[in-house]
Amino acid sequence: MVEFEKVTRIGRVKYWEDEAMNKNFNRRSVLKIGAGLMAATALTPSLAFGQTANINYWHTFTSQSEFAGLEEVMKLFKAAHPDIVVTQENIPNPDFMAKITAAVLADSRPNVTMVSSERFADLLAMGALTDMTERLANWDKRSDFDDSRFDSITKDGKIYGLPAFSFVDWMYYRKDWFEEAGIAPPTTYAEMRDAAIAITDPSKGRYGFGLRGGPGGQNYINNVMEAFGSPVQQGDQIGLDRDKAIEGIAWFSGLLTQDKVVPPSAPNDGFRQVIEGFQTGQTGMIWHHTGSFQDIASKLEPGVEFGTLAMPAGPAARVARLAYAYNSITKDENADASWEWIKFWGEPDAAIAFLDKTGYFPASNSASADPRIADNPLYKPAAETLVFGRPQPSFPGLAGWLESVVLPAFQRALIGEATPEQAVDEMIDGLNQAIG
Amino acid sequence: MTSNPQSIMASSRPLSTWDRINPARYIGELSETRFWMYLLLLPSALLIMGVVIYPTLYGFQLSFREMRLNRPDLGTDWVLLKHYQRMLSDQIFWISLRNTAVWVTAAVTIEFSVGLIAALALNRNLPGTKVLAVFILLPFFLPNVVAGHMWALMLDPRLGVINDLLVKVGLLGGYKAWFADPSTAMAAAIIVEAWHSFPFFTLLLLAGLKGIPTDLYKAADIDGAGSISQLRLITLPMLKTVIAAAVILRVIGLVNSPDLLLILTSGGPGRSTQVLSLYAFQTAYKDFNFGYAGALSVIMFILLMMFAWVYVRLSKVNQD
Repeated sequence: MVEFEKVTRIGRVKYWEDEAMNKNFNRRSVLKIGAGLMAATALTPSLAFGQTANINYWHTFTSQSEFAGLEEVMKLFKAAHPDIVVTQENIPNPDFMAKITAAVLADSRPNVTMVSSERFADLLAMGALTDMTERLANWDKRSDFDDSRFDSITKDGKIYGLPAFSFVDWMYYRKDWFEEAGIAPPTTYAEMRDAAIAITDPSKGRYGFGLRGGPGGQNYINNVMEAFGSPVQQGDQIGLDRDKAIEGIAWFSGLLTQDKVVPPSAPNDGFRQVIEGFQTGQTGMIWHHTGSFQDIASKLEPGVEFGTLAMPAGPAARVARLAYAYNSITKDENADASWEWIKFWGEPDAAIAFLDKTGYFPASNSASADPRIADNPLYKPAAETLVFGRPQPSFPGLAGWLESVVLPAFQRALIGEATPEQAVDEMIDGLNQAIG
Repeated sequence: MTSNPQSIMASSRPLSTWDRINPARYIGELSETRFWMYLLLLPSALLIMGVVIYPTLYGFQLSFREMRLNRPDLGTDWVLLKHYQRMLSDQIFWISLRNTAVWVTAAVTIEFSVGLIAALALNRNLPGTKVLAVFILLPFFLPNVVAGHMWALMLDPRLGVINDLLVKVGLLGGYKAWFADPSTAMAAAIIVEAWHSFPFFTLLLLAGLKGIPTDLYKAADIDGAGSISQLRLITLPMLKTVIAAAVILRVIGLVNSPDLLLILTSGGPGRSTQVLSLYAFQTAYKDFNFGYAGALSVIMFILLMMFAWVYVRLSKVNQD
């Protein structure tokens, strides 16, 4: 009986609930709700669109410090531009050209891409870059950047990017080893070779110089040839001076084949190996740019265990590259938001924050004059280099020639498979094919 | 079978206007003709045309054109056999061809041998073999990129654990730069490749072994055949089809994939580990010469087709 009443009560409650539902949801109310939902659906994306713009950014940062620097810049940008969402995507350097080429062909480009000087000509030729001349001309901070900063990203008077930071070539050396051996830091190639011989001690696992003969080493090989008097590009002229290039290759490969002052792993040593070799006390000198400063300082004490030097002078020229990492618009969609992101890298706060985390030099004058840089003695060689440093050569086919021809030919000289003459002849043949 | 008088009457009835235009009637009639099967195959055929035949033909025609992405001034005209002619005098092509033969032959031989031993061991169903199977298959689950970087670190001349172990047990006097020496670079890369891919053979051969009737081994035991004889006269002949399929698939994979070598050596030092796939990749994506890269790919395609045809004929798989 009790059970029956409970069931009846439940049934009654259910009946009243249904009635209430019917009253609340009659045809008119359903239509109203439907119309409201439709309006909301139609409105929401446009509101969202109006509030935020999404852009993706392709870069080639590799080390932890570079990622820390990027994160810092993104944090500052988010605070300054909450309406723009930046999604960063790391494209490893060896894959970069393959990925960007595929993206251009498939029209799935990123909004903004980091472009290095030696890749500019190839990217422009394949139509990957957008003309930014007008945007730059109307930018109030344009005067903060010397005109020369744009040389490597300009073609026929059109500018295709804004420098985000600089790659200032310089040299790291083990200050403590030099003091121990009683030798002065080198200023020429000849002095550098002598110093390398003096501090090399294979019994201690010490080598004078960390030669980058593996991936990425091609630019240094080209610099050495130029320092011996054989620049690959002089104005519109492209070519090598065979005799001078041979001298350069003989000197550079001789550091391994004759003097034995570089680790035997040199023919395969890329960025990681060269930096680790210096950090772990295997090598006493390395060539790189300011961007690895913080990485090295995380293992060795700056000013005590290691110091920095401007690049030594070769017999014909003192070659240190002043290259810039440019940010370029690579997609028309959300181009205004892309421009905001690109010019933010030129702001002193962002540039200094990035320098603090990485060591990469700012590209703008006002940021370079900041006391945190100007008053730091370890950055003095970089400031000196800004005076005599020269831009990378730039012509279509350069990057491919350097990587696919110059590097393997030099490696053949390093491992004794080819003489410097044969290596240079290979380079000249390859250059003719690249530009032919 | 009895015929239905009503259906006979219906079929002899003259067709109404609707019947004449009714698409269902047309489809019904078509389904009874020999063209029906071709119609059913049409969607798949179109799909295959779109995703396989078209890109393949596009790749072929690319090899007869000038196509340098960074040199738009050269245009994209037909150049007929220019790229193939260049190949004949291209030293790097011949070095790459020779290296490809060494790379593939050595890697497949090691992978097959180790894979067979592992499969035979796992097929014995001893305690713990299931756990062991997971460990054996583990390398194959690793992406090439991860395996490559892992081994690059293990073989590193400064920090590499393998150098450390070899020095400690007295096999090496000092740390060796395996990938910087042309006499060891290819061998070291082959060992890494074999370590990574031998489970592929293990997996396929184990599946084949499970399908061999145990009666054959029992009969061989009674006849006094030893383990080696059983392997030679029963196991290997019964696995012939699986081995042929596995070898062909692996050879195709090795010829076409440059990723491991790209990570470990980038083809160096010099050209000592340069293989055809790596050369084609570099030609396309470093030099942006898609025409020449297309010609290299066509040669690889033809070589693989020839290999598969010769191998199938020599292994007499089709005779089964």
